Amino acid sequence: MYLPKWKWVVHPIIVFIFSIVALSLSLILYIYWYVEVSAGLKGVIERAKLDPEQILAPQTWVVILVLSILVAIILAGIFIIFVYNLKTLRLYRLQRNFINNFTHELKTPVTSLKLYLETFQKYELSREDQLKYINYMIHDTDRQADTINRMLNLAKIESKTMKGKFVSRDLVAVAKQFYKKNQHVFNRGEVFFHNPSGRMLVCRIDLSLFEMLLMNLLTNAFKYNESKVPRVDITFMPKGRKLYICFEDNGIGLRRPEIKKIFRKFYQTGKSENMTAKGSGLGLYLVDSIIRLHKGRIMAANRENNPGSVFTIILPLNAPAPASSLRLHEKNDMG
Amino acid sequence: MSFFEKKRILVIEDEAHIAEGLKLNLVLKGYDVKISADGISGLQDWKDWPPDLIVLDVMLPGIDGLSVLRSIRLEDERIPVLILSAKGDSEDKIKGFSYGVDDYLAKPFNLEEFLLRVDRLIVRASRYDAEGERGEGDLSDRNWVYTFAGNRIDFGTLTAFGPHGEIHLTEQEVKLLKLFITNRGKPISREKLLEIGWGYPRGTKSRTVDNFMVRFRKYFEIDPQKPLFFRSLRSVGYVFDHDSGEKGNDR
Repeated sequence: MYLPKWKWVVHPIIVFIFSIVALSLSLILYIYWYVEVSAGLKGVIERAKLDPEQILAPQTWVVILVLSILVAIILAGIFIIFVYNLKTLRLYRLQRNFINNFTHELKTPVTSLKLYLETFQKYELSREDQLKYINYMIHDTDRQADTINRMLNLAKIESKTMKGKFVSRDLVAVAKQFYKKNQHVFNRGEVFFHNPSGRMLVCRIDLSLFEMLLMNLLTNAFKYNESKVPRVDITFMPKGRKLYICFEDNGIGLRRPEIKKIFRKFYQTGKSENMTAKGSGLGLYLVDSIIRLHKGRIMAANRENNPGSVFTIILPLNAPAPASSLRLHEKNDMG
Repeated sequence: MSFFEKKRILVIEDEAHIAEGLKLNLVLKGYDVKISADGISGLQDWKDWPPDLIVLDVMLPGIDGLSVLRSIRLEDERIPVLILSAKGDSEDKIKGFSYGVDDYLAKPFNLEEFLLRVDRLIVRASRYDAEGERGEGDLSDRNWVYTFAGNRIDFGTLTAFGPHGEIHLTEQEVKLLKLFITNRGKPISREKLLEIGWGYPRGTKSRTVDNFMVRFRKYFEIDPQKPLFFRSLRSVGYVFDHDSGEKGNDR
C-alpha cells in the first residue's frame, strides 16, 4: 500500500540488467538460428547436388564475430548511458541539497537585517541598544557579502576564464600576514605556524585566491570542532621541488567513507548538523579548484593518534631565489 | 496587554541575531520570552517552562523543527505553534500544516505582520482555554480510547487490552503508540522514531526502538513472530496499520 509494488521494475539498475540479459539472449539466438539455418541449407544443397562452395561462401565464424562485435558495441553504449544517468542523478540530488542550504544561507542575514531595521522604524531605542543592534547588522551584511563573494568566485574559477594574477611569494609570510589580518575570525582558538626548514619558501600564487583557500581551510577547522580551544597547526615542508603544507586540527575529524567525497561540488558531511555548521557544500570544492589552478594537489586524512583531520596541500616550489632577484620577479609579474 | 500574568513565548531559533531581534520585539509588546538555540533544548524548555505560544524555526541543529513540532503534538494538541522558516514554498507549508502547525511565516517576514499574528494566536488560544473546548480525537485528551482488531488502548488509564490480557503502559510506550496511530499506514524510520519519540539528535544509532517494537508485538499481536499490525520494513523502519473495516476510533 505504501510502496507501489511495481515500482522496482522501472529502477535504472533493473532496466540496465534486463537490457543486458535481453541483448545477450538475442546474440545467442542469432547464432543458434544462423547455425540451424545454414545446416538446413547445407542439407538442401547436398540433396540438390549443387556446389556448396558457391552458395555457402561466407564462413560461419565471420558472421558470429561480426554479430558479437556489434552486440559488444551496443552493450558498451548502454553501459555508458547508464553511468551518465547515475552521474546526472547524483548531481541533481546534490544541487537540490545546495539550493536548500543556500536558501538558508542567503535568507538568514536578510531576515535579521529586515527585523532590526523594522524595529528601529517602530521604536525609539536607547543609543546603547542602537549601537549593539547596528553592530549585529554590520555583521550580517559582512556575512551576506561573504556568501555572495564565494558564489561569484566559484563561478569565475569554474568558467576557466580566470587566469589569476600569479606572483612569487614566500608562503610562510603570506600565511602569517593573512592570520594577522583576520585574527578576529579566529580569536576563539589558536593557530600556530611551523617552518622547520627555516628558509623562505617561494611559490607562484594568486594572492587573493590563496587567501580564500586559507580562509576556507581554517574556518572549516574551527567549524567542525568540538574542542574547548580549537587549534590548527600549519607546517611548511619543502620536499625536492614541491612544497607540502599540512593543516592539522583538533576537530571532529573525517569519517572514513567521506574522505573521498568531501572535495566534490555541493558535498556536505551528513551528520555535521548537530552543530550550527551550515554551509553551502562549496568550501572544499573551491579549495580544490584553487589548488588545481596552482597546479597543485590536496589530500585529506585523519590524525593518527588524536581526533582531528589533516589537510595537506602540495604546490610546485620555485627554485630558491636570492632576496634581491625576488623584487625583479614581482615586477615582471605585475607587468 | 491586559492580562494579570504575562503570556510566555518560547522562541526556538538557532540564529542568534534573529532570536534576539524577536525577543526584543516580543518583550516590548509585553510578553515573557525565552530563547532555545536548538531542537533538543527547545523540547526541554517546553517541558520546564510551559509557554503559551511557540515560535519555531525549521532548519535547526540536532532535531529539525518539524520533528520538534511532531513531538510536541504527541503530548499537546492545543498549544499554538508559529513556524518561521526560510523555506516558503507551498510544499513546505503544507508539510508544516499537516504536522499540526497553526501559522506559517516565510523568512524574511514583516515585523508588524509577525507581531499581529502572534497576538491573534495567543488571544485565540486563551479564549479556547476559557471555554474549555475539546477537539475531536484530540491526542492530548485524557479520556481517549483507541481500538483496533480486538485490541483496546485506553490513554486515560494508561492501560491496554490485547490478545494476551491487560497491560499497563509506560509513558514512553504511550507516546510511541500515539505516534504510530497518528501515522497509521505510513512507514516511520528508526531515526525519526528516536527523534520524535525520544528527542535524540539526528544520527543517533540505537536499538531502543527495536526493543519497544518487540514489546508492542507481545502486547497486541496474536502471534508476535508474525506481526500483522506492527510490521518492520527492511531498511526503512516500522509501520503500524490495521484493517479499517472495523471502527478504529471509539470514545
